[in-house]
Amino acid sequence: MAVGKPAKHAVEELTEGQQNRRRMLAWLSSVGLFGSAIISAISNLVFIKPRATYGAPNRFGIGKPDDFPSGTRIALGEHRVCIVREGDKLCAISTTCTHLGCIIAPSETGFACPCHGSRFDQDGNVTGGPAPKPLPWYALSLAPNGELEVDKGTEVGAGTYLKV
Amino acid sequence: MRLALAIAAFVILIIHGLVFYDQFFHKWESYQTAYFDQARALAKTDTERAAVSGRKPRIEQTIVTTFGENRVDRCLTCHIGSDDPRFKEHAQPLRSHPFSEALGDRLLNGKWERRHKFSDFGCTVCHDGQGRGLETFYAHGEDHYWNDPLLGYVTQHDWRAEFKDKLKSTEFMQANCAQCHTEENFKSTPLVAQGRQLFFRKNCYGCHRIEGLSSGTLGPDLSEVGKKFKLDYLWESIVDPRANSKTSVMPQFKLSEAEIRALVTFLKSRRGINYSETSLDRYRATLAGKSTVGKVAQPGQPGAAATSVATASSVVATVPTAALGEKLINDKSCLACHKLGNQDGGVAPDLSFAGLVRDEQWFMEHFRDPRARVADSIMPSFGFPETDFLSITAYLKSLTTPPPFTSPAEFFKGTCARCHGEKGDGKGAIAVYLEPYPRDLTKAGFMNSKSDERLITSIKEGVAGTSMAPWGHVLNDEQVRSLLAYIRQTYVKDKQRPLKERDVPNTNPIAMSAESVTRGDQIFQQRCTGCHGKKADGKGPNSLDILPRPRNLHNADFLNATTDRRLFESILYGVQGTAMPPWVDYGLTKNDVGNLVNYLRSLNQNAQTTKTGNKH
Ligand code: FES
Repeated sequence: MAVGKPAKHAVEELTEGQQNRRRMLAWLSSVGLFGSAIISAISNLVFIKPRATYGAPNRFGIGKPDDFPSGTRIALGEHRVCIVREGDKLCAISTTCTHLGCIIAPSETGFACPCHGSRFDQDGNVTGGPAPKPLPWYALSLAPNGELEVDKGTEVGAGTYLKV
Repeated sequence: MRLALAIAAFVILIIHGLVFYDQFFHKWESYQTAYFDQARALAKTDTERAAVSGRKPRIEQTIVTTFGENRVDRCLTCHIGSDDPRFKEHAQPLRSHPFSEALGDRLLNGKWERRHKFSDFGCTVCHDGQGRGLETFYAHGEDHYWNDPLLGYVTQHDWRAEFKDKLKSTEFMQANCAQCHTEENFKSTPLVAQGRQLFFRKNCYGCHRIEGLSSGTLGPDLSEVGKKFKLDYLWESIVDPRANSKTSVMPQFKLSEAEIRALVTFLKSRRGINYSETSLDRYRATLAGKSTVGKVAQPGQPGAAATSVATASSVVATVPTAALGEKLINDKSCLACHKLGNQDGGVAPDLSFAGLVRDEQWFMEHFRDPRARVADSIMPSFGFPETDFLSITAYLKSLTTPPPFTSPAEFFKGTCARCHGEKGDGKGAIAVYLEPYPRDLTKAGFMNSKSDERLITSIKEGVAGTSMAPWGHVLNDEQVRSLLAYIRQTYVKDKQRPLKERDVPNTNPIAMSAESVTRGDQIFQQRCTGCHGKKADGKGPNSLDILPRPRNLHNADFLNATTDRRLFESILYGVQGTAMPPWVDYGLTKNDVGNLVNYLRSLNQNAQTTKTGNKH
């Protein structure tokens, strides 16, 4: 390598204006990069969950309230939910066993699982067997077209009824 | 360097910001928010309020598994008020879907009930469009190349402007109702039923095939036409058949706009498969060897559909009469192609004097099998009942007023020019539909190499196997002569020279034998196939560049009416004014030609034995 000229620039004093400009640029760069990073992070967190999947819909209509006369406990097999009506109060209780996910059937005392014998009372609380948690209740609402709508995406506390 | 870094960082930030905005602030979210707000305001009871409270914008989707392929419909994501009767006055996309008797909806105790619940049927089953799309453009499919743009609402930007208003109509939706409601006279799809009737009444079935309905082969198969083409294309193809295919021979039918609408709707409903069939049904149908689409007639029987429809329509014929024939000719759209009196379809020969120049037998053979007498006729085989054919024949035979012969020029203009052209150049209005083409009378080479006797025979007796009719039934000898004189004088520019005497035998000196035919076949394959084709059907590789086209040598009527002498002359000395060369110059001997003639005769022998009475 040829011997170069002495690097004069390195030792040169920066004027105050130059320093300001450098500080400013560094600040702008970091705002840009950090901003991008934050937006990316938020996006990633949100997009990690799909907005729509091709499974059965979470929110579905199940018919008119009149289809469920007072005192009925009707299990809707395909939706895995049991509609209970007492007087003008309605609720929707899951029929998926909290143990290993079998489909449970309404029984005289509440619900019974055929797989490993879990039992639940009328409100879905565990009364026996291996099931670790009570059956969830789902939000039930009256759609504008007059149909009852179950939203399996929204759990509500046991004892939350829809009045019709 | 630092500046560049700062700029780059900002550009990245802006891009990120845009992507973020694009992904998080959707039109549909604002529609849903608007819906929730308004629904809350409209709520009268606590239950109503509770139904909206706590709902957040999200993608609403229906997965429809019942109708053929699974469909994912996200239309309700924007049209979230579709099933909310309180929104019937709102602007789209929130407006509620109307109720209507035609859709099967019922009014019960003052409340409407839907027959087609959105959760069961989705939206795209009826409306088309792209169910998965979440933006107007993608969902409604306003794109020419989209599979199924929204039926009846969307007008494509490149649709022909004059069709635009005609294509915006909810009536076209009937095409989709017919996917499931395949009954012939389903009350909610009157347009489809009308279109189906028109399909038969206008004789479309003669040319077009629709699986389970018809078996025409001349035009394109329409079984799946509704799947492949959009409303505008269908509309255009009917009103202007040559818009998309320059060589189309489809006539321009004189249809009212209502009739076109019906036909377009019917065609749009033809999708090969329909939603009401599950794949299992389809599988069973293939096993049973028949389609379940359209239960009009047994598929596979060409005449069946036509017959059943013909008898089903008002014409129930038992005794053939000329009056019935006249009605049939008009009803059945014969005049969409043919000319009769002052009605002219502009495709097929003039029928005004057909009764004078053709006999009953010719008509009947022609109707039953249009290619029986004119080998390459494009007329479809219409499977009408025999009584209809007899009636049409009776009617045509009853037309006995000959064309007036005031002067040869007038006669040529009124009768010959439709094929041979006003200028006599063989480019008449219907010439392109005739096979073989009409003679170009201006070709002096041809005209001057033929004796007057020969040409007079052609005029008087017609040319068998072609559309040239025997005008001797209409004109007397004197008139034929003056007509030929007129043609020679007006159209053939060169002077007629005395014809060379040619050494041609009157009958083939080589006896017909298997050996001679084989020899003739060999020569044919070596010398003639370039133009006449390997199968001798006139479709050799060179044929497309040649006018007039090489003869189809399977035209039995033509060959049987042609003497050995003429064949010898044409082969040995060529046909002037055409591409046929004088083969004597290329070393063919009379014996070779004799073998060739035997070969050609053998090609048409079968036809010869089955047919009698070629001459008129
Ligand atoms: S799955 Fe129900 S008890 Fe085990």
